[in-house]
Amino acid sequence: MKRVLPLVLAAITVVLIVMAWFESGGVERHVLRSAATPEQATRLMLSQIQTHNFDAAYARLANRNDLDKNTFIHEFTGSYGSLLTISALEGFDVGVLHASDQEATVRARLHYATGVGPLDDTRDLTVQRTGDTWKVVWPVDTTAKLPPQVIPVNYLRWDVISRGSGDDWGAQNVDSPQVRIVSMNAIQRPDSVVVLGEVVNEDSVPAYVNVGATLLGPNDEELAQESSFDKIAHTLLPRQVSPYRIDFPNMRLEKIKNVRMEAKALLIAASADPVIAIDQQKLETDRLGRKVLSGKLTNQSGQIVSIPHVIAAYYDSNGKVIWVSDGYVAQALLPQMPVPFAVDLPPDVAKNVQTYRVIVNHFELTT
Amino acid sequence: MLMGREDTTVHTSYFSRPIPLRLILLLALAVHGPLLAMQLPLTNSYDANFHVFFASHYAHHWFDPWNPKWFAGFSQTTYPPLAHQWIALLSYVFGLHMAYLLVQLAGVLLIPVGVYRFAQLWVSERAASYASLFSVFVGAMVFLVYFAGQLPTTLSAPLYLLALPYFYDWSRTSDFRGLLKGVVLVLAAGAVHHVTLIFGSLLFAIPVLWLAVIDRGEERNAVAVLIRAGIFAGLAAAGLGIVLLPYWIQIIRHPIEQMPIPHASRSNLLLNFTYLTNYFFVPYGMLIVAFPFMAWYAAARRRLRPLLLGFWLTLIFGLGGTTPLPKWVLGRSFEILTFERFTLWAALMVMPLVGVLAERAIDRYGRKAVMGFATAALITLLLPMGWMAVTPFSPNANINVDAVDAFLSRDGHDKYRYLTLGFGNALPKVSTYTDANSVDGEYNSARLLPEFTHYGTAQLTSAKYFGTNGMEALRMMLRHASHYGLKYIFIRDPYYEPLISFAGWRKVESYDSGTITVWSKEDVPPARPIPSDAMPTALEGLLWGTLPLASSILAILLALLIPDRARARTEVLLPFPEREMQGALVREVR
Repeated sequence: MKRVLPLVLAAITVVLIVMAWFESGGVERHVLRSAATPEQATRLMLSQIQTHNFDAAYARLANRNDLDKNTFIHEFTGSYGSLLTISALEGFDVGVLHASDQEATVRARLHYATGVGPLDDTRDLTVQRTGDTWKVVWPVDTTAKLPPQVIPVNYLRWDVISRGSGDDWGAQNVDSPQVRIVSMNAIQRPDSVVVLGEVVNEDSVPAYVNVGATLLGPNDEELAQESSFDKIAHTLLPRQVSPYRIDFPNMRLEKIKNVRMEAKALLIAASADPVIAIDQQKLETDRLGRKVLSGKLTNQSGQIVSIPHVIAAYYDSNGKVIWVSDGYVAQALLPQMPVPFAVDLPPDVAKNVQTYRVIVNHFELTT
Repeated sequence: MLMGREDTTVHTSYFSRPIPLRLILLLALAVHGPLLAMQLPLTNSYDANFHVFFASHYAHHWFDPWNPKWFAGFSQTTYPPLAHQWIALLSYVFGLHMAYLLVQLAGVLLIPVGVYRFAQLWVSERAASYASLFSVFVGAMVFLVYFAGQLPTTLSAPLYLLALPYFYDWSRTSDFRGLLKGVVLVLAAGAVHHVTLIFGSLLFAIPVLWLAVIDRGEERNAVAVLIRAGIFAGLAAAGLGIVLLPYWIQIIRHPIEQMPIPHASRSNLLLNFTYLTNYFFVPYGMLIVAFPFMAWYAAARRRLRPLLLGFWLTLIFGLGGTTPLPKWVLGRSFEILTFERFTLWAALMVMPLVGVLAERAIDRYGRKAVMGFATAALITLLLPMGWMAVTPFSPNANINVDAVDAFLSRDGHDKYRYLTLGFGNALPKVSTYTDANSVDGEYNSARLLPEFTHYGTAQLTSAKYFGTNGMEALRMMLRHASHYGLKYIFIRDPYYEPLISFAGWRKVESYDSGTITVWSKEDVPPARPIPSDAMPTALEGLLWGTLPLASSILAILLALLIPDRARARTEVLLPFPEREMQGALVREVR
């Protein structure tokens, strides 16, 4: 007993550790290192990126000669204050689309956690066999770089002179700008009631706008209160229109007697710059089979736009807003460089869409 | 020179006598006093500010445990109050920070006393004194005091250690004084920390009960020992049921059903070297080297086997998800607990074995062994101190939040609720010194708002570290800003600025050269109370404000007024030196 006990305890400890090792994927990680299949090679590389082991991930690329390491790293960590600079690769799904003895195509769906919420990125990657292992060919961006140039800027800007540094922003002795909700539509979705429409700044000064809605029951009691949150362009220049969407999760339309809408506006300093053009807009089905509105954003100014936010309003044949969708673009908008975007919309809505209108909201990350 | 028999020389060296407890306490004061005087826990730890925040509430509202400052209102009866109430009490004289440090000092000084008393059950007086001495240097203690800021864990553990000898005495010899003092100490310890009460007390008590059965002697029945232990446990349970009644009411009414929040101590430490360092190498230090020797030694001695098994089990629990055992035993509780405290318990539990190992080594190797153990103790102490400087886990507890409190205190800004983002563990610092209320908070078990409980995230101020879950919880809270009167957001990490901006807040002020920015949303109405069925009744408030503190005062009075009976253990007999049959060769003095 006296000499057996420590051995028994040590043995039990080892057995428990081995069991946990299996349970927590230690063995799987070990197998992954061999990169013996296209899927394993992709998983290995992405798991290394997930743990910020970029050197190891880069070392596993088949096309290192064509791709600079920093460029590869920036594919995941972003640049110019883009959304990817405030993100982390949280997970990924990998599936082989087709494979031969020497080459395979693998679809990787990357799930990022970002500063504005989750972001998914789908990449179809070529994986090549090199001896006993497989290596990923990371796509090389062949977009031509712009030469140095001068971009003349000619835009409107509104400044506001406040009462003093001790004043609260928003507690000003001026009238609020005139804004008006020009349309409102309440629709039932499978898991929620959605209130959507458009709001216009009718004033001659910029306005900072928030739209809120309160659902009222049969006895005018408040059922729920929500705001447009990030599904609106809060800064509206004179005469500018923004779509808005307010979601009420777990709510049924038949329980609602009325909706109380409220648009609050505040005078702010604003600028028409940067001007972002939206080109090649089209409704299509993407490679995952989803209905999307896609297009390209081009920053026509000389400043970098760090985080663009696309908001799209969809109209039926009567010109009524039937859906509003939005999405954040992972890349920063460099001057004059087109960047693709796509925002999805429900298939049942897509079939009723006659026209659409896209606006771009943006945020400049200062650090 | 003696020949043919063991050494029976009466030693007079310092190394062969027990070290007086007074000296050990002085050493503990010399080691930890300056570290506490530097306010390390308050500036460098995760939880110290949290405990100060709780204490601050008691200082202002002793009999009202409903605290509106976090989570739009929560009940402090979800956390045993004794440590916080002592801080609150002392704060009337010393201020909150000094009071915190004094209570923590009490915990730090009680550790060697508790270990000494606990070790006396298992090993000789001298080995017990060594155990007590080494407990001053335990890395897990340093880690929990100065890095984790777990005041209640580090205060309740020695109280349990002090209670265990009484539990042993009562169970073995029906010593009524043991029953009385032991139960009162358990009440005080339970009133300090619930997790130690529910999990730690069992891990410590079962080996001691086993020892009491072994030591009962031929004249006593093992069943009687067990029955007496049951009586002790029953009385302690009944007492804790009363002393912590509001806590039990709260737990029964609102069991913790929120989504599990990830914690590194629950992961498989072998898959991440940083976690392994943080939760194994740093807290145990040089103890790791001694584990095999202690196991070998203890397994060979019947009386030490319960201690060895108790230590092994606690060690396994302290490894979190490195083995499946904690998950099997704890079930859903595994997802709620953090496991660094098990490491402290394991380290304290093994101290008697360290003491006896040191005793034998010093007997055999003299000064060399002393030097070796001293070096090992120093390394064990310094390892966590060094780790604090290089660890990638940074509590951010030392942020200057004066500007935030000043903003909230002026122009009626405290009519609205606020949120901090990127403030890490400085959030309680903000909350302590402002009248404004926040929707966020740092105590996960007290949260009842669906914006928190539906997502696996801890405090919103650190939302980004919880990935999509954290950011979704934050989005949900921001969406309900009007409902909660959430108007002001303080940002200390530009990571959060895009979301706040797109969601309709505007930057209004900045402090510390733009390090902290204030954002405001103009259409938010003033905050109104959020109805909650978790609000304690006035009677619960009265019980909460009196019984826990009373239990500690009673424990102190009993310790001072009723002396302990000397413990007699039949097994430890010193052999009287036999008469020398063979003449010793003595050189004549010239």
